[in-house]
Amino acid sequence: MVRTILISVILIFGTISILKPNETFAFSGQIVERGAFGDDVIELQARLQYLGFYNGKIDGIFGYGTYWALRNFQDQYGLDIDGIAGPGTKDQLVRVTEFNEDWVHQQIAQGNRFTHYGGIPLAQQTTAAGEGYSSTTTVQLPAKYSERDIQLMANAVYGEARGEPYEGQVAVAAVILNRLESPDFPNSISEIIFQPRAFTAVADGQIWLEPNERAKQAVLDAMNGWDPSENALYYFNPVTATSEWIWTRPQIKQIGEHIFCY
Amino acid sequence: MKSAIYLLSIAVLALGLYSYEVKQNNNRLERTVQAHYSNSLSNASEKLSNLQHSVSQSLLFQDEKALEKELDNIWRTSNEFRSSIGSLPVSQEVANEWMRYVGNIGEEAKYAADFGNYDSWHNRMTKVNQKLQTLSDEWAVATSNFYQNDPSFADWAAITGKETNETPFRNVATNLKSYSETDFPLTASESDWQKKKELQNLNDKEITKDQAIQRLEVLIPGIKDATYTVTQSRRDAAYPFYHIQFVKGSRIGYADITVKGGHLLSFLSERPVQEGNRLSQQDIRKAAEQFLARGNYKDVEIVEMRENHEAWHISFARVVGKGKEKAYVYPDGIQAKVSKDSGELLGLNAMEYVQKETINKDQKVVPVNWENFFRPGTVVEEERLVYTENETLQLRECYEVIARFDSEMNETFRVVVDAENHDVIKVESMH
Repeated sequence: MVRTILISVILIFGTISILKPNETFAFSGQIVERGAFGDDVIELQARLQYLGFYNGKIDGIFGYGTYWALRNFQDQYGLDIDGIAGPGTKDQLVRVTEFNEDWVHQQIAQGNRFTHYGGIPLAQQTTAAGEGYSSTTTVQLPAKYSERDIQLMANAVYGEARGEPYEGQVAVAAVILNRLESPDFPNSISEIIFQPRAFTAVADGQIWLEPNERAKQAVLDAMNGWDPSENALYYFNPVTATSEWIWTRPQIKQIGEHIFCY
Repeated sequence: MKSAIYLLSIAVLALGLYSYEVKQNNNRLERTVQAHYSNSLSNASEKLSNLQHSVSQSLLFQDEKALEKELDNIWRTSNEFRSSIGSLPVSQEVANEWMRYVGNIGEEAKYAADFGNYDSWHNRMTKVNQKLQTLSDEWAVATSNFYQNDPSFADWAAITGKETNETPFRNVATNLKSYSETDFPLTASESDWQKKKELQNLNDKEITKDQAIQRLEVLIPGIKDATYTVTQSRRDAAYPFYHIQFVKGSRIGYADITVKGGHLLSFLSERPVQEGNRLSQQDIRKAAEQFLARGNYKDVEIVEMRENHEAWHISFARVVGKGKEKAYVYPDGIQAKVSKDSGELLGLNAMEYVQKETINKDQKVVPVNWENFFRPGTVVEEERLVYTENETLQLRECYEVIARFDSEMNETFRVVVDAENHDVIKVESMH
């Protein structure tokens, strides 16, 4: 009796594993297309790289590099060429590639430089991040901004306005971007932030505090177009401001402790 | 007693040594900062002198090649000077006035070189040249103290804490302001800056605070019956608006709505987002389109979607024309922020959409032969018509092309080309 049950169990599991060899640990049910970000895209890039279609960085951002690679894959495997990873494309990818999810996510978490080509031992495809290297949180930004910009601005926003409402933090970030457009200020985000006397957080060193996610989100919203300051070029705290000149600027609105002005 | 005196002496000695060490460190720091400031000041003074010479020399030539070389010099030197001024600890007022005046000279030089407006350049710069000379002399006087044999960091520290009127830069600032007003009344870039404030030209009927809240609740039903705090913009604001702050459950946010016409300028709501749950990109797109339809923004289409950890940022642009003449008006854009977990609208920015651009229907659209335009090995993947601003901030109808190198890395570029004269307006490297 026990032997019969044991054989039945082995047969059932065996049949399942033969009939559905690839359904586990592969993609979520979502259709993935350009603009997407996250684990599905990491898997897509890794699998495309496994076959040599994708040669860029595996970062979870579905940009043009991933898009062309996917189209080339679809072309070569006789699929509809739409650059969208739907069920058919994903099934085909899973059938012809391998994906070591744990290893890939470990490399990303550690900030290592790595690739995921098939036929080469994974151990040979990674370079450990140097000492003191800190992996930046990957985000999708409008094309004109870089990750360095968001990092620098998040530091400035956190140093200047971490106690302010979210709206106030977005407004401070927007002021920096408004200065970038204005002819009265330097031409780069770095020069604007480090312009002597421009920001208190630079003068008192608070700009070097580690910014939180909220400050980064605020900068991201400002980079995507939000400007709660309504085109302000300056702001000041009326309680602590010592400059007489700043009071001569036309005022727009107050958010939290800051008055925003032209 | 002896032991106490002994211990006290040791403590005083240790304190003395510590103070000496701190003072030495401070001195080193001061010297480093002073050297940096002195270097920036020398650079700025040298660039100013070079700029003045270049402007002066540009008045010599009628020959296009010779003049263009000087114009190029002027544009480059003006940028370098701006950069040097930006790193000096002068007051914001002085820095701003310098940046504007010298930046305007650089922009004029670029404009003259690009469009061949040499007569206009010569006419304008004859006066500017004299004023630059005056400014250069005043700058030399104002900064002479910083070059003395034994300069003190205290000199630098003193000007950082003073109003402009109390510093040696008083005359420079006053003259710069006056020269800017007379020599460059309103440049193209400032005119663009003004455009953002053009909402002051809205002629719609004024609405009340309550109507503003009603308008907001129609657009964003999710915050209906929130607790509101409504204030009005300050008297100096270029256009009056209601600043509505709201709290509802875990949602905290704001919306700015114009007093005239009740147009939503921007809205943002902050709430915790469940990172585990996420809607599909297709559902997010549908949700965003429905929000905009409800807000009566019916002439816009999605041009870009970007997913991040908690939300999607979606860009819309106004669409004009149909069929082959269909074009996206980028300056009339709307941005939406939609949560990944439930598809809730977390933000909307319609400031640029409220003041719509005027389309120049007389501009010609001349097809481009991309095979001749790009080098071999470049593949044009997408092409569409858009309206965007050129360097002189005129709205132009353009071809927007997505092109890539046919190589392993598939490097991709967004290239914007004027549809009439085929000037390249923008090239962006795409991720």
